[in-house]
Amino acid sequence: MVTGPALRARIGEAGLAYLLLAPSLVFLAAFTYWPIVRSVWFSFHDVMLGSDKIFFLGWENYERLWTDGLFWKSLANTAFYTLVTIPSAIACALLLAVALDSKLRGMTFYRSAFFYPVMIPSVAAGMVWVFLYAPGYGPINHALALVGLPKLEWLYDSNTAMIAIIIMSIWKYSGYFMLILLAALQMVPSDLYEAARLDGVSAWNRLIHITIPLISPTLYFVVIIGLLHSYQIFDYVYVMTQGGPADATNVLTFYIYQNGFQYQDIGYASTLANVLLLFVGGLITLVALVFGRRVHYLGR
Amino acid sequence: MSAPATSRGTLLKVRTALRRNWLHFVLLPLLALWISPLVWILVTSLKTRVEVFDPSAGFLPAVAQWSNYPAAMAVAPFGTYLVNSILATGGILICELVTITLAAYAFARLNFPGKNILFTLFLLQIMFPIYATFLTNFVTVRELGILNSLPALIVPFVASGYGTFMLRQAFRQVPTELADAARLDGCGHLGILWHVYLPLVKPTLVAFSIIAVVTHWNDYMWPLLVTNSESVRTLPIGLGLLAKSDSGADWTRLMAATVVVVSPLLLFFVIFQRRFVDSFMHAGLK
Repeated sequence: MVTGPALRARIGEAGLAYLLLAPSLVFLAAFTYWPIVRSVWFSFHDVMLGSDKIFFLGWENYERLWTDGLFWKSLANTAFYTLVTIPSAIACALLLAVALDSKLRGMTFYRSAFFYPVMIPSVAAGMVWVFLYAPGYGPINHALALVGLPKLEWLYDSNTAMIAIIIMSIWKYSGYFMLILLAALQMVPSDLYEAARLDGVSAWNRLIHITIPLISPTLYFVVIIGLLHSYQIFDYVYVMTQGGPADATNVLTFYIYQNGFQYQDIGYASTLANVLLLFVGGLITLVALVFGRRVHYLGR
Repeated sequence: MSAPATSRGTLLKVRTALRRNWLHFVLLPLLALWISPLVWILVTSLKTRVEVFDPSAGFLPAVAQWSNYPAAMAVAPFGTYLVNSILATGGILICELVTITLAAYAFARLNFPGKNILFTLFLLQIMFPIYATFLTNFVTVRELGILNSLPALIVPFVASGYGTFMLRQAFRQVPTELADAARLDGCGHLGILWHVYLPLVKPTLVAFSIIAVVTHWNDYMWPLLVTNSESVRTLPIGLGLLAKSDSGADWTRLMAATVVVVSPLLLFFVIFQRRFVDSFMHAGLK
């Protein structure tokens, strides 16, 4: 039973809490929740950018998705990009983190060198890599020629354009994942490794059976962050390929942009945005179901 | 007798040196791969146009073309872009720090009806990719009549679910005894928040600020959509425009501009490297 003064204190506490939350909630409502609701509402309508007229369409925009080959292509491209980039970048980051976890001369320099791409604006990174990939004078083709490999068209060939963007993304994001994993590795008690080493466990087995299980919560966190980051690809597509060649790099985010801002079709673009939301939600749920249970929490 | 012993000794020394340093042999080539784009930016920014396209010209410029820098800066008002970038990023950061501090304190230390639901709502924002909301946010910003203005660059990012979550975790690590002691001394909630909690969670605040500054300083898509006049454009947009206006061919000036745009953050990173890495790692743990 809550009595007079205690009740008043409790109302006071709740009131204060709502007051403290209010600034965040106003902006979250205006720029996160309301846009989602509105996007769903738009998707059932014919809305054109720059026009005030709105017509009800029902499920028409969603039916259009089924027959829109470019939508399926952009969805497949998004999935391909995500499923190749995230595991490769995380594997790369894990190996770097394990290597840099030891006491090595020049550690700070190594860390900085692998981390700096994170700090470079995506538009700058995109342009630099357009240059690096240039078929005629680009240094990458130059290097390929030096070791006797054939030159590639990279961004101008629909077979290699997405691969080119993926390679650049691995360069850009591995350092970020590396730093987070490095922090986790430094929490692993070193006597565990000592004991395993004395028992003659190989370095590879130590990695698989000790390191990875012990840092699995962080690995899980990195996978989720990576999935959420994989939509940064918009900037690269915009700067490097504009979705081309032959829509080989047209991803969902870019296709939304195209429909909304180039074709001014906000209704259809909103429909695509809702699909993107479902795609992200689905992927994260999948990851949670597949990996979430295997995560080991030390001492919990 | 002594000669073979010495050579055996050297062999042993070499072998232990190898065993101790073999990691460098793996890491150095990777390191070269990782920093080569940066080296390429710097070297190209000092070349002549002819050298860029001539494979036989060699790696370094014959004569360093420092004039590429003023030439690149003359193409667009980069000074204005720099000021806009500072104002937009600074504005977002200050607003975010205020909103997340207040919200995180409520979630960490106060009891109120609907706490769990509200917290879930905050977390949902982390899950919603900005690319799912940028269309409707653009429509909202236009309806508010703030298109092509500094507030348009700031408002969508004022509240942060991620920041609230990070800070709430940090607040919860602070022993309640400290707050109780302050309360006995007659401190109110806001006083406790200001004098007890904030000083103790500085590393988390620093880490969050770094993430926020890097994200918004480098943001390209949102400023691209909501600005169309030079007076409100930011550095990344200026860089993108330069790339377009030169149809990507004038790499020397473009790379010079890239150096100018990239260097503030990189310089900051080099100076505060240790603290930067530490707080980033600290943030990763949360």
